[in-house]
Amino acid sequence: MDQSLFIVGINHRSAPVALRERLAYPEDEIVAALDRLRESCPAVAEAALISTCNRVEVVGVAADAARAAGETLNFLAADRKVERSAFADAIYNFAGRDAARHLFRVGASLDSMVVGEPQILGQLKLSYAQASQARSVGLILHRAFHKAFSVAKRVRRGTLIGHGSASVSSAAVALAGQIFDTLKDKTVMLMGAGKMAELTARQLGALGIESLLITSRTLDRAVALARDLGGTAVPYDNYKPYLKMVDVLIGSVASTRPILGPEEFEPMLRERRYRPMFLIDMGVPRNFDERLNTLQNVYLYDIDDLGAMVQRSLGDREREAEKAEQIVELELESFVKWLAGLDLTPTIKDIRYSVERLRDEELVRARGWMAQLEPAERERVELLTRGLTNKLLHRILSGLKQRDDQALDSAFAAEVARRLLGAEFDAQDDLEDADDEDDNDPSLE
Amino acid sequence: MWLLPALVCYALSAALFVFERLSGRSRASGYAAAILGAGAVFHALDLTSRGLQAGNIPVANFAQALSFLAWLTALAGLLMIVRLRLAVIGAFVAPAVTVALGAAALTTSSGRVVLPDPLRSVWLPIHVTLAILGYAMFVLAASVSIVYLAYESRLKSKRALGPASEGAPSLEKLDRINYHLLGWGFVMLSLAIVSGAIWADATWGHFWSWEPKESWSLVIWILYAGLLESRLTVGWRGRRAAALTIVLASVLVGSFVGVNLIFPGKHGGSFG
Repeated sequence: MDQSLFIVGINHRSAPVALRERLAYPEDEIVAALDRLRESCPAVAEAALISTCNRVEVVGVAADAARAAGETLNFLAADRKVERSAFADAIYNFAGRDAARHLFRVGASLDSMVVGEPQILGQLKLSYAQASQARSVGLILHRAFHKAFSVAKRVRRGTLIGHGSASVSSAAVALAGQIFDTLKDKTVMLMGAGKMAELTARQLGALGIESLLITSRTLDRAVALARDLGGTAVPYDNYKPYLKMVDVLIGSVASTRPILGPEEFEPMLRERRYRPMFLIDMGVPRNFDERLNTLQNVYLYDIDDLGAMVQRSLGDREREAEKAEQIVELELESFVKWLAGLDLTPTIKDIRYSVERLRDEELVRARGWMAQLEPAERERVELLTRGLTNKLLHRILSGLKQRDDQALDSAFAAEVARRLLGAEFDAQDDLEDADDEDDNDPSLE
Repeated sequence: MWLLPALVCYALSAALFVFERLSGRSRASGYAAAILGAGAVFHALDLTSRGLQAGNIPVANFAQALSFLAWLTALAGLLMIVRLRLAVIGAFVAPAVTVALGAAALTTSSGRVVLPDPLRSVWLPIHVTLAILGYAMFVLAASVSIVYLAYESRLKSKRALGPASEGAPSLEKLDRINYHLLGWGFVMLSLAIVSGAIWADATWGHFWSWEPKESWSLVIWILYAGLLESRLTVGWRGRRAAALTIVLASVLVGSFVGVNLIFPGKHGGSFG
C-alpha cells in the first residue's frame, strides 16, 4: 500500500516550555528511544525523532498515517511518563504533503522562534544521523530529510533570511565586527550590571577577546561577574585610568546623567592615539553623552540605535520568509511527485522478479527435452523465452510509467498489475539509490 | 593589437564590479576579478610587444607610461581583491584602470616609438618601475580610503549595514591596508628618486637638476612622509588619514598628468 509521511509533535507555538521540557529527549537517548518506538508502534515503518528546546517531533512513514500518529502519541506519553491528556491539545499532526511541507519549513528555519536562525538545520541533520544509527530510516525518510536539507540550502542561498541581527546583543556584536578586524587583541569593559549588557559582553567574550574589565557600583557584583565571565574587576571609583586601553565599552550603569562626556574623552583619545573605540550604551537613562559619537574614530550606539537595527532586520527577514515559503512550495511539488513515482519502484522490482521467476520455472520444467537439443538450438530457445518476457515486461512497465503524473491512478494500476502477476513484496530498497545531493555542507552546520 | 581586448576586459570588469556594488549581491565579483585578470594578461601582451619594439620597457612617452601605470595598478588591485578578499576595491580599481588605459590608447601613436639613446640603460626599468609602482600603491591607497570614508560615515550616522554589507571589510582592516599601501608606496617612491639620481649622475654628471618632474616628486615625497609621520607620532588614523590619502593622491595624479603634458623636461620626452 501507499506509504506516506506523517509528523506528530509540539513546538514553541503550540506548547509552553514547561510542557516541551517534559516531552524532550536528551541527545544521547534518542537512538534507544527510536528502538522502543518501533517496538511499540507496529504501524510505523520508518521514524526519526527531533528534540530541541523549541520542538519535539516524530517524523515517520506509515501506510496508515492516522493509526501511526495515534500509536506514536501513546508511545510518547508512556515513554516520557506524561499524561496523554496533558499534551493532547498542544499536539499537531500532519500527514502526506502537509507533513513534508512542515519538515521542509522546519529545516529552512521558517518554523523557528527566531525565523532564519541557523542552528535548526544542524539539529535536523543530527536527528537524521541518530535515526540512521537506530536503523529506522527507510527510503522515504532518507529522501524526505535530504530534500529538507537541500530546501534549507536553497533558502539560505536564495534569500536573505539569515541576515541581519535578531537581537540587541547580536546587533552589537555585528557592529563590533564592522569596526574591528579581530577582537583577539581588543579589551572590552563592562560598566554596570544590566542583563543585556552582560549578555553582550558574554557574546563578545565567546568570540575571543584579549581581556575583559568589569566595573560596577557594587564591587562584589563586579567581582562575581568577573569570575563568571573570566574577566578582571575594576573598582568603580577608579575605572577612568583604564579607559585608554578599552576598545569596546559597554555601559549599563543606573545614573540620571551621562557618566562620560567628550571633555574627559578628548585627552584620553589622544593618549590612545585615536585607535577606534566602540561605545555601546545600554543604560536608560543613557550613560554616554551623545556628542561622543562626533569624536575621531569613536562610534557610539545606544539602545535605540541597536533596537532599530533589530527591527529592520526582523522586518527584512519577514519579507525574505515569504520568498522562502515559495521555495518550499516549489520543492514540495517535486518531492510529492517523486513520492508518487516511488510507489512504482518496489512494484517494478516485484513484477520483474515474478516474470523472471516464471521463465526460470518453465526452463527448469523443460530441462528434460531441452537436453536432447543441439547447443545452438538450446541457446535459441533460451533467447526466445528471454525476448518474450522482456517484451511483456516492457509493455507493463512503460504502461505504468506513462501515467506517472496521476499519482492515484498510477498507484492503483501498479497494485493491480502486481496482484495479477502474483508478485510478492520482498524488495529491500537500496538506500544508496536515493541521491545524496547537498549533504555534508559545512557552511550550513 | 592586444590593447583593444585588454580595454574591453577592463571595462566589462568595471561594469560588473560597479553593478555588484549597486545591487548588493556579491556573486558577480568572482567573474569580475577573473575578467580583470584576463584584461591584465592582454595588457601584458601589449606592453611586451611595445617593449620589444623599444628595446626596453615601454615608457618612451606619456601614453606608454600611463598604460604601464594602469597595468601595475590592475595587478596590485587584483592581488588585493584575491589575497585580502577586498572585492569592494574592484569598483574603484577597474574603472580607474579602464579610464587610464582608455586615455593612453587615445593618445598613443600607432607608429614605432623608439627610446632615445641616453635612456637605453639598465636604470630605465629600475627607475621607472619603482616610480610607477609607487604611484600605483598611492592610487590604490586612495581607493581603499574612499571605501573607508563611505563605511565610516554609514557607521557614524547609524545607517548601518543592511544585508549588502555583511562580509564587508572592517574599518580596522581598511585602515591597516591603507597604511601598508602608503608605506610601500613611500619606499618605492624613495628608491625611485635615489635610483633616478644615480642614473642622472652617471648620464649627465649631476644628481639633481630641479626640472619640474624632480621638484614635484620631491614635494610629493615630503607630503607622503608627513602623512606617515602624522600617523606614527600623533596617531592620525582612520577618517583623517583616509581623507589626507585621497587629497595627496589627487595632487599626485595632477602632477603626473600636469608635469608630463605641460612642463615636459627630460621626463616628459624632451631629453636634452
